[in-house]
Amino acid sequence: MEKILQIKDLNISFHTFAGEVKAIRGVSFDLFKGETLAIVGESGSGKSVTTKSIMRLLPEHNSEIKGGQVLFDGKDLTKLSDKQMQKIRGKDISMIFQDPMTSLNPTMKIGNQIMEPLIKHQNMSKGAARERAVELLRLVGIPKPEIRVDQYPHQFSGGMRQRVVIAIALACNPKVLIADEPTTALDVTIQAQILELMKDLQKKIDTSIIFITHDLGVVANVADRVAVMYGGKIVEVGTADEIFYNPKHPYTWGLISSMPDMETNDEELYSIPGTPPDLLDPPKGDAFAPRNPYVMKIDLEQEPPFFKVSDTHYAATWLLHPDAPKVEPPEAVKRRQSQFPGVKVGK
Amino acid sequence: MSERKKLLEIKNLKQYFNEGKPNEVKAVDNVSFDIYKGEVMGLVGESGCGKSTTGRTIIRLYDATGGEVLYDGVNVHGNKSKKELKQFNRKMQMIFQDPYASLNPRLKIADVIAEGIDIHGLAKSKQERMEKVYELLETVGLNKEHANRYPHEFSGGQRQRIGIARALAVQPEFIIADEPISALDVSIQAQVVNLMKKLQHEKGLTYLFIAHDLSMVKYISDRIGVMYFGKIVELAPADELYRNPLHPYTQSLLSAIPAPDPISERTRKRKTYDPATHNYQDNEPVEFREVTPGHFVLCSETEFKQYQAQSKQ
Amino acid sequence: MLNKETAISKDMFAPAHIDPSKSEKISKPSLNFWQDSWLRVKKNKGAVLSLVIIVIVIFLAFVGPLLTPYKFDTQNTKNNNLPPRIQGLENIHWLPFDGTLKRKNGTEYNPYEIREVKEYYWFGTDGLGRDLFARLWKGTQISLFIAFMAALVDMLIGVTYGAISGYLGGRVDSVMQRIVEIIVGIPNLIVVVLMILVLKPGIVPIIIAIALTGWTSMARVVRAQVLKFKNQEFVLAAKTLGASNGSIIFKHMIPNMFGVIIINTMFSIPNAIFFEAFLSFIGLGLQEPNASLGTLVNDGYHSMIAFPYQMIIPSIMIALIMVCFNLVADGLRDAFDPKMRD
Repeated sequence: MEKILQIKDLNISFHTFAGEVKAIRGVSFDLFKGETLAIVGESGSGKSVTTKSIMRLLPEHNSEIKGGQVLFDGKDLTKLSDKQMQKIRGKDISMIFQDPMTSLNPTMKIGNQIMEPLIKHQNMSKGAARERAVELLRLVGIPKPEIRVDQYPHQFSGGMRQRVVIAIALACNPKVLIADEPTTALDVTIQAQILELMKDLQKKIDTSIIFITHDLGVVANVADRVAVMYGGKIVEVGTADEIFYNPKHPYTWGLISSMPDMETNDEELYSIPGTPPDLLDPPKGDAFAPRNPYVMKIDLEQEPPFFKVSDTHYAATWLLHPDAPKVEPPEAVKRRQSQFPGVKVGK
Repeated sequence: MSERKKLLEIKNLKQYFNEGKPNEVKAVDNVSFDIYKGEVMGLVGESGCGKSTTGRTIIRLYDATGGEVLYDGVNVHGNKSKKELKQFNRKMQMIFQDPYASLNPRLKIADVIAEGIDIHGLAKSKQERMEKVYELLETVGLNKEHANRYPHEFSGGQRQRIGIARALAVQPEFIIADEPISALDVSIQAQVVNLMKKLQHEKGLTYLFIAHDLSMVKYISDRIGVMYFGKIVELAPADELYRNPLHPYTQSLLSAIPAPDPISERTRKRKTYDPATHNYQDNEPVEFREVTPGHFVLCSETEFKQYQAQSKQ
Repeated sequence: MLNKETAISKDMFAPAHIDPSKSEKISKPSLNFWQDSWLRVKKNKGAVLSLVIIVIVIFLAFVGPLLTPYKFDTQNTKNNNLPPRIQGLENIHWLPFDGTLKRKNGTEYNPYEIREVKEYYWFGTDGLGRDLFARLWKGTQISLFIAFMAALVDMLIGVTYGAISGYLGGRVDSVMQRIVEIIVGIPNLIVVVLMILVLKPGIVPIIIAIALTGWTSMARVVRAQVLKFKNQEFVLAAKTLGASNGSIIFKHMIPNMFGVIIINTMFSIPNAIFFEAFLSFIGLGLQEPNASLGTLVNDGYHSMIAFPYQMIIPSIMIALIMVCFNLVADGLRDAFDPKMRD
């Protein structure tokens, strides 16, 4: 498959009063054409920072890209000038944010907000842009788009606004769409509609999506591949089936088993003890070690490299080292392994 | 089930905002349900359905527009002396949604937790007060050293546990948990839910658990009520509600929740709910009826018969 | 993404023990609100410099009059209208402290030599021969006193009024807000002129006049804050615990508004100084022989062409104080603003 975006060994720090926060510590991943890559992780794991750095939206006064590359179309986005970046933003790569209430300009008509990128990036005439805006609104499932195009954001409900935001993001048929928790602020029934819409549109315009979320249910619904982030690093990456039915990293185990499913009843929920690492002072070795019930001496000394599980599945945990003892994953994970559709990959 | 003791009876509770004005909002509209001692009652619904308002009205943060709330047979609302109110405050407590807004940023954790102890004079000396604080911190899995720190130094999950410790300080019997986990990360949600379950067993607590995340609600609750636009449309034991949802809104809600399960997600069929499908006649009484024992649905007489037939299958 | 086969001894894969209590440890040093804010103010160079200047000015306002042998209200008509002259600096010609003045035709003369005056008046003397150095600091002292008192009264009335209005809400709030609007609607000057007609011009009437008209902005700010906090979950939590209204306002709300209150007060101090100066300048202010910065400017204004130093020096002082207070207030606002936290 064609790689559309490549992130290579990205390192990003924030400078705060308390010192340097190493928010991203060596993140690498590829995005293939037409796929949806979900990035999951808890708050502070660096999932939003990673994607904001792709769009170069990090605050300039206190953030610093310490190393690494973001390759798009043969260009390293971290090295581009602001002007060059503006040409890419909204045209080749666009972004949807979490809160539809604040990501639209309340004093501008919906139509004008959709037309803006069209006129700017595609040199469309006003009339043509307007026609395209109506078309886009119809595409995202807004009834009576000819009338709605002249209305203001406050006349739309939350779910409808997120549809408008998606319409704006898709206006120039971007190659990459970054969705940062696009459904977190919405109700479940509205969320289901928006997810369906995004999947539908992806098929139509063949864009690649990076989908950031903390909700594993949403991940299961939309993702082709999943990257799990913890403490500023990717700890496991694989296809959705591999991550959900054959996870290898103890953090992924914890994430998956801490959600009750229909079979969980009276047994205690599996919970990951403790709190996420303080990236002001990341622990030596594996950042997850202090919360890892399977911790080994090596975890405290050395950061684990990626071990290959299959061609698409990698996990950064010493448990996959040939010398490591065999461990039993939690009950909920074992139940899932029996459903794993692929060939069972032995350790 | 009927033999169990009713701890709380909510009868025709109404909470209207801007009453009598054109912008009147019926946030809670004629809601009735009971909560039995020692059970976890779940209340789910989408934002704006009135579930949080119901909780806040029960605990008297809002004065009810109508109806009554009986706690152990005594009406909680209406005129009360200060002393009666204080006694009531000790029995019923609340855990809040936003761990960042629910702790006063200017108070040390010790003072946050000890607030109830101070108000109700539960400690005779400063030393006893601190001992109680340390004990509460330990109960929720934190330790002594945290007592002298300020809220902003804690993570969301830790703050939520501090909020629980604050509620526990007055030794309540009944706790309203208003979306206690929806602002937390998945791995932390389990910590808080496990803690709440543990406390329930150890201290014999009764919970009203308000949330929009149905999978967690199903896990923790014995019975679940589904709210839609200020009304409870269905109320049933947790398993029953999932196995046999009768009201079309409940069905649509259940079909919308994505499960962490890619295989089943690929075949998911989503149902939408349109209130017009009921096609109620103007004079048709739409009431809360018991379809099977313990399973209530808001429906008309014809729907009631239909649901009964459906449940027999 | 490659398996690195490096030599790792097998015993490294033995289970390690981790103290579970450590996972809840907080490594950051504990900073309370004031320490945190101070760190931020410290970063703002302008605010720190202004703070230092304000401290020096306040110090000199009390000590300054004692530094010269002349009292601020002793008249010595023999030595009137003398320009500034400072020992040691008098020989440096380009400094304005050499005791010379310019005639209208541009020629320079030295009144000290012409009138055979031996004394050194650092900032010169006024038309009645009073020492301007002593008068300047005395004036600063009184101006600052008036400003601080007015700001304090503003704060007390404004915070109480705003808190009550916002907390009680409903009809009480409506009535109280209409009253505020009426007060805001009457021009300040009319209130002040009436006040001073009723009471005699002096320090107290000026303080009352400034305070009477100034508290409304504080009341509005505090009311808005109370409305915001009223539905915050920590206030609701206190309510469910049975906390009294007083404890909710004083323990939970006001401490969280310190930042806003302090900033508002800091901005109202320079306003009060300016307003006092303005009142004195139009003759409604302090009466002789008392001095404030406003009366000094007013006195100097009458002989501005012949003796410019008499007006320039107090004007510089007013400008300096106002700029410094505004810069400090700005710095504090940035420091207290939670949105700036990073």
